[in-house]
Amino acid sequence: MKHLPKHLRPRWRYLAVEIEATPTAEFDRGDFQRALWYAAGNLLGDAGSADADLTVYAFDFADGSGEAVVRARHGETDAARAAVACVDSVADHEVGLVVCGISGTVRACEESYLGDGTPLSTEQHVTFADDSRPAICRDDLAEISMPDGFVAATKLDTH
Amino acid sequence: MYEAVAAYPDGDSTVSRHARTAADYGYDGVVVRTRGAEFDGEAISDRYGSDVVTGIEIDADDPESAAGAVGNFRSDCTVLLVRGGTNKLNRYAVETDRVDVLTRPMAGDGDINHVLAKAAKTHSVHIEFDLGPVLRASGGQRVQAIKTLRKLREIVAQYDAPFVVSVNADSHRQLRAPRELRAVGEQIGFTADQITAGLDAWGEIAARNRERMDDDFVEPGVRRGREGG
Repeated sequence: MKHLPKHLRPRWRYLAVEIEATPTAEFDRGDFQRALWYAAGNLLGDAGSADADLTVYAFDFADGSGEAVVRARHGETDAARAAVACVDSVADHEVGLVVCGISGTVRACEESYLGDGTPLSTEQHVTFADDSRPAICRDDLAEISMPDGFVAATKLDTH
Repeated sequence: MYEAVAAYPDGDSTVSRHARTAADYGYDGVVVRTRGAEFDGEAISDRYGSDVVTGIEIDADDPESAAGAVGNFRSDCTVLLVRGGTNKLNRYAVETDRVDVLTRPMAGDGDINHVLAKAAKTHSVHIEFDLGPVLRASGGQRVQAIKTLRKLREIVAQYDAPFVVSVNADSHRQLRAPRELRAVGEQIGFTADQITAGLDAWGEIAARNRERMDDDFVEPGVRRGREGG
């Protein structure tokens, strides 16, 4: 079909979203998209969700840290931001999300707000709660393996 | 703007991790609800630029045991919170000057009415708007939470009672940035200014209590010291 004249084309905004999860969490773009639609549908309703038209564009996630570009309709960025905030888990993995910025193009969005490069994570033993425990460390963060799951800490808590 | 968090051992993240995430998200600091949490506030503040306020959230079954805990812990913390959830506990908390914040007033069987809102204003006890279920619950529970938040908001606004806003995060992944909370708040009927005021209120409580706990403080407006010295 012939594409629309420029003044009739929808205008978009692109949200740069940072994703954080436990180091063992695994999910892909499809899981994130599903969680986002579900959150938007529940918070904004079918009509609001259709208006915001949230679509995941770029998606990159590994070792408990990642980023995504989410497209939303121009003028619906507040609703989109609210929907992103209501995504509490993706594929049953708890996630922390934050919108780092909003741009008018995918490229500007990625260049301005994303792609700082996550430092590689290393596995080592740290002393926490009076015992030596295995931990996954990245930058000055440490995800410490405890009997009942991971505890998120920083280098300040470990020895 | 501050956020009040539950840290390890009650939560999944340590105080320093909460503080680091909060600083990244644009908060000025965090209020720690957990009594057993161990942390070095100065080291955290030096490293991450995030203020850490010692708080204790009292989770009691009835007003009598809450009163005992308030007496025991008031001097140990900067911000004292009492978890509501029953009408008796809510009433006890809003009528006690030594309590700073009544948390989760609408959880369980708890309810707030005009009498309690007026008492909260008189005794300057802040009532918490708990956005946690809005962000993390789904279905009927979430509808219920949004419904009770609306009721609470209408009563609190009518009587101009003091309030705070929090997402009750157990882990740093449950924290959300202030802008996100404003956006969510606007979707469920708050104004952005109300959310900002609620987040700012934590800092105001902490500043007021720190001043009161200062050795030179005698009473509001009166400080010990030599004139010109």
